[in-house]
Amino acid sequence: MHPQPVHSWFSARRVAALAHNTLLELVRLKVFYFLLLFALLVIGSSIFTVNFSFQNPLQVLKDIGLGAMSIFSWLLGLLCTAGLLPKDREDRTLYTLLAKPVSRLEYLLGKLSGVFLLLAIAVALMSVMFAGVLALREQQEIAAVMQSSPPERLAADIAAVRAAAFQANLIPGILLILLKALLCSTLTLLLSTLASSTVFTLLTSVVIYLIGHVQGVAREAWMSGADSSAALRVLAGFVALVFPDLQLFNVVDEIAVGTALPASLFWQTTGFGVLYIAVYFLLAQVLFSSKEI
Amino acid sequence: MQTPAISILNLFKEFPVPFKREPLRAVQGVSLDVQPGEVYGLLGPNGSGKSTTMKIVLGLVRPTAGSSSVFGADSRLVQSRENVGFLPENPYFYKFLTGLETLLFFGKLCGLSGKSLRERSMDMLARVGLTDAADRRLGGFSKGMLQRIGLAQALIGNPRLLVLDEPTAGVDPAGSHAIRELILEFKRQGLTVLLCSHLLEQVQEVCDRVGILHQGRLVAEGRVEDLVSQRNQTELVLENASPELLAELRRLSISSGARVIDQRHPRTNLERFFLEATQPAP
Repeated sequence: MHPQPVHSWFSARRVAALAHNTLLELVRLKVFYFLLLFALLVIGSSIFTVNFSFQNPLQVLKDIGLGAMSIFSWLLGLLCTAGLLPKDREDRTLYTLLAKPVSRLEYLLGKLSGVFLLLAIAVALMSVMFAGVLALREQQEIAAVMQSSPPERLAADIAAVRAAAFQANLIPGILLILLKALLCSTLTLLLSTLASSTVFTLLTSVVIYLIGHVQGVAREAWMSGADSSAALRVLAGFVALVFPDLQLFNVVDEIAVGTALPASLFWQTTGFGVLYIAVYFLLAQVLFSSKEI
Repeated sequence: MQTPAISILNLFKEFPVPFKREPLRAVQGVSLDVQPGEVYGLLGPNGSGKSTTMKIVLGLVRPTAGSSSVFGADSRLVQSRENVGFLPENPYFYKFLTGLETLLFFGKLCGLSGKSLRERSMDMLARVGLTDAADRRLGGFSKGMLQRIGLAQALIGNPRLLVLDEPTAGVDPAGSHAIRELILEFKRQGLTVLLCSHLLEQVQEVCDRVGILHQGRLVAEGRVEDLVSQRNQTELVLENASPELLAELRRLSISSGARVIDQRHPRTNLERFFLEATQPAP
């Protein structure tokens, strides 16, 4: 006879087993093929930007690369998360899992952690691809500068090219892109605990993503208007509270031109993102716990 | 007094029906106990409340009223599932996992790890005859193989209670026979089994006691022998009896006031005949 394991109300091991299994599922579903599109886009942009003369081609490449990374990581998180719970419910795998000594909190946390791991790996891979293309382009630019720049400006021109290439100040921006994808995935998980169909979850999540990008602007417009009524203010406040201001995570424009992201802004945005992730996850847990399967 | 493996007391479960005031009453006042080491068959037609009762026992559904406990722990608590192995009807597992990976995953959820988990997984694969399929993905498993890997995952945490929902549904006669033999082996080992099945003959063969649910109510319960035996009748099976002996017995029976209801050659059942016919040649 084997010794009976002693049960604890929460086990990081069980969460890790569920997270590993979720990651394995997504990897074996070949979701990483999706990143080939990103590689094609970045490499294609690199070739295309050769013809740009009115703007620094490395800056254009950074703009496109970081923008694509933001959209691809969000889309990957959305597609991976939306089907997780409904699939387990439809396949009745959920019965087998929850009939084990696994709490619903552990199950939900394990599933979400698996998606988080996948997104972290995906963003890391995209960053490597992006840095690689940027480095290649940097070498081409330096070669061009060495041929065309007069000797007295050569050192300054090469330094300017290097400054426009991959710099450490891009890393906080990439981390915020990852955080935004994690936040949107948690929101999608919350929606999937409410919805009965994956299509509804996907559509609602896309709508909230769009609201999240325009709500900051809309709020300012409403609040600053002379005729802003109390009802409008309440509505604006409600929208601002429920939907995260995703525009806060869009720092691509600034860092693409080489502006370093202030540390305070980085930590403030990170805190905001982590808070929303925690709140959305807790709500998802409350809803999932009360759900009969 | 021993703590029952399962104790259900005055259980009610109602499901709201959209656009209707009256809820659907799936379970209505069911009370039953399953003792440790017992094989208990829960029977009933479709929609009788079997699955709902089983889900309440497993903590997957909350009762509207009443209570359910497993080895004394409230079914709503995660701790109640420490000693439970569950095989759902038509089990679907993660198709992307191999047989061994499936058992390693479920073993980790039961708190096992390391070398002991690997050994236990290999033991379970051997026990259900799937050692050769250890590295095959479940996507390529037949229905019978899925049922067997389902049994192995139910056993991985070394449970004291096994809940089996239609364990032989869709399985061929040989597979069905193998599963029945396994249940009998569990019984010999002292495991408690709650078996939900439509196959009454199978239930009769393996269960100590049965409960019959109908429209959410427990309409009959008791020992299988008590429920099916006809106490005022006696069967006498003879081998190589001559026609003269049979005539004499018939005459004696009538003269003593008994009534001979039937006289026939006993038949093997179709399953036994099938198994003998399909047995590989020695």
